[in-house]
Amino acid sequence: MEPSLFKDLDPIDALATRWSLKLDEIWKAREQARSQRQAFKDVCEKGKFLTQDTSVVVFGSMARDECTSGSDADWTLLIDGEANSDHLRVTQKITSSISQIFNAPNPTGSFGGMTFSHQLIHNIGGAEDTNANTTQRILMLLESRSIHGVGDAAYGRVVRGILNRYIEQEVSNLNREKTGYKVPRFLLNDVVRFWRTMAVDFASKQSARGGLGWGIRNAKLRLSRKLIYISGLLTCFSCALDVDLNSQINSERDKSLQVVNHLRKAVKNTPLAVLASSLLLYDKDGEVTRNVFNAYNEFLGILNDSEKRKHLQNLRAEDSERDAMFIEIRRISDAFQNGLDKFFFENQNIKSLTRKYGVF
Amino acid sequence: MVFSKMRPIGFSTGALAYADFMQGLSIIRNHNLRTVELSALREEELEPLIASLDNLELGDFDYVSFHAPSKLKRLDEQKVIELLQAVTRKNWPLIVHPDVIQRFERWAEFGQLLCIENMDKRKPIGRTARELALLFEKLPNASLCLDLGHVRQVDPTMSVALEILEHFGGRLCQLHVSEVNTNSQHDALTFETALAFQKISALIPQTIPIILESRVTPDKVDEEVLNCREALSVLAAA
Repeated sequence: MEPSLFKDLDPIDALATRWSLKLDEIWKAREQARSQRQAFKDVCEKGKFLTQDTSVVVFGSMARDECTSGSDADWTLLIDGEANSDHLRVTQKITSSISQIFNAPNPTGSFGGMTFSHQLIHNIGGAEDTNANTTQRILMLLESRSIHGVGDAAYGRVVRGILNRYIEQEVSNLNREKTGYKVPRFLLNDVVRFWRTMAVDFASKQSARGGLGWGIRNAKLRLSRKLIYISGLLTCFSCALDVDLNSQINSERDKSLQVVNHLRKAVKNTPLAVLASSLLLYDKDGEVTRNVFNAYNEFLGILNDSEKRKHLQNLRAEDSERDAMFIEIRRISDAFQNGLDKFFFENQNIKSLTRKYGVF
Repeated sequence: MVFSKMRPIGFSTGALAYADFMQGLSIIRNHNLRTVELSALREEELEPLIASLDNLELGDFDYVSFHAPSKLKRLDEQKVIELLQAVTRKNWPLIVHPDVIQRFERWAEFGQLLCIENMDKRKPIGRTARELALLFEKLPNASLCLDLGHVRQVDPTMSVALEILEHFGGRLCQLHVSEVNTNSQHDALTFETALAFQKISALIPQTIPIILESRVTPDKVDEEVLNCREALSVLAAA
């Protein structure tokens, strides 16, 4: 078994140092994201919007440390307290307070309003689990950050509550041989469902919006959206692989709690950091790392170029075959995918988990 | 923001300086506030504070009240009542949590200076108008310290606050103001709390003293006073 994932050092920094990667666009996007989060936090503190029962939570590029030119602010007021009609007024006040600083989120999307903890925690599957609820729940785990920062009670409580739901429902948290923790299948299935939902929604939006914004959505699906998915897979796989977690298998402590604690630590990382943590441990020759990180760095470079971004924004599917920018995106996404294929289907540590959990 | 009148606003010494009333007073004076509550919220603070009362030189304050201990473990009730007579001799309102009271007839002797505070969720009495009514039956002359943070924690819609003011507004002696969080701790006011307080601000006479219980650092005192003033503002008629 390999050493532990999710140590305190920044795994992307460590990976770049180990393989001498030049990741300027990733660093730039990270700085921009941190600066934007700070600006958002300043607005929230000035407006006294932060309470113990609510959290302002950001998603998307701002949460992933991937802010580029034209990134919007996907956020929600997460409410984990008593029902109160004033929550709507707080949400409206936040919207007006940040309108001068950030691009508004997609008005038909899942952000820019209120989110209630009970729905996220209790409506997993079944008729009440709407597309928006699934999206917010999985993104809450895989690409969210609280503006409040460390010690944020509402956000921390809800993330832990969601993880508890997935883990408590497992009959056992151990593998059949009782020699280690197993991959949490309930959570994994929901991550997979989320990815397929995103892909299906891509087609749905293409139809609903008459092809508008096809180019940029396609590029994101190939890269940043896919990254969220693979970070979810790797987070689930880490339960079976992590040395720290599995070294406690014979402890008297509650096993569900240990898995939840492990996952809670894991989901504090950005998707790119989750991938980097795995590559640090399992990519011995650096080939996958170079493919994946160089491609992602190029992708962020394109998004950070306002002209190129605008071009992708206006690109329709029927024009993509002959479009030089889209051909470039396809080259980058192919390199990214080749790296992922090699990692998930050929790596000695990962391939058996992919085979066991990734298909059926 | 236009304020019709300036409400008297000050701080509890205990909110600004834990278990150090001299330091708390000093911070309040430094911010030119003329409204203060001397806090002996913790039992061990009571005797030293009572012993110092004659030496505190509080002439620069327009309003002074005194918060009695919220729990009695070491001192017995009779001893506490005797100590607190030094407060009522000065004609200062005496803020008391109702769950401290065992022998109502003894506390009733303080008359109007006995100021009963409404309680937060954790306490089984004194939270709502109905529960306060049971107390005022036994303490017919007592006044009311309405803790807005407590009452909002009990009912964020502020309907309970409205009911208390409708029934006992005539007994209102002072307000306690702060955010009371999920753990029942007193924090700085938030926008959401301010929205709640605005719902009942028109029912609170401008002359009622406001004691902030927000745990803020000295550099945040002025900001908290301003936030309180805005939250409890009654906009002047256009």
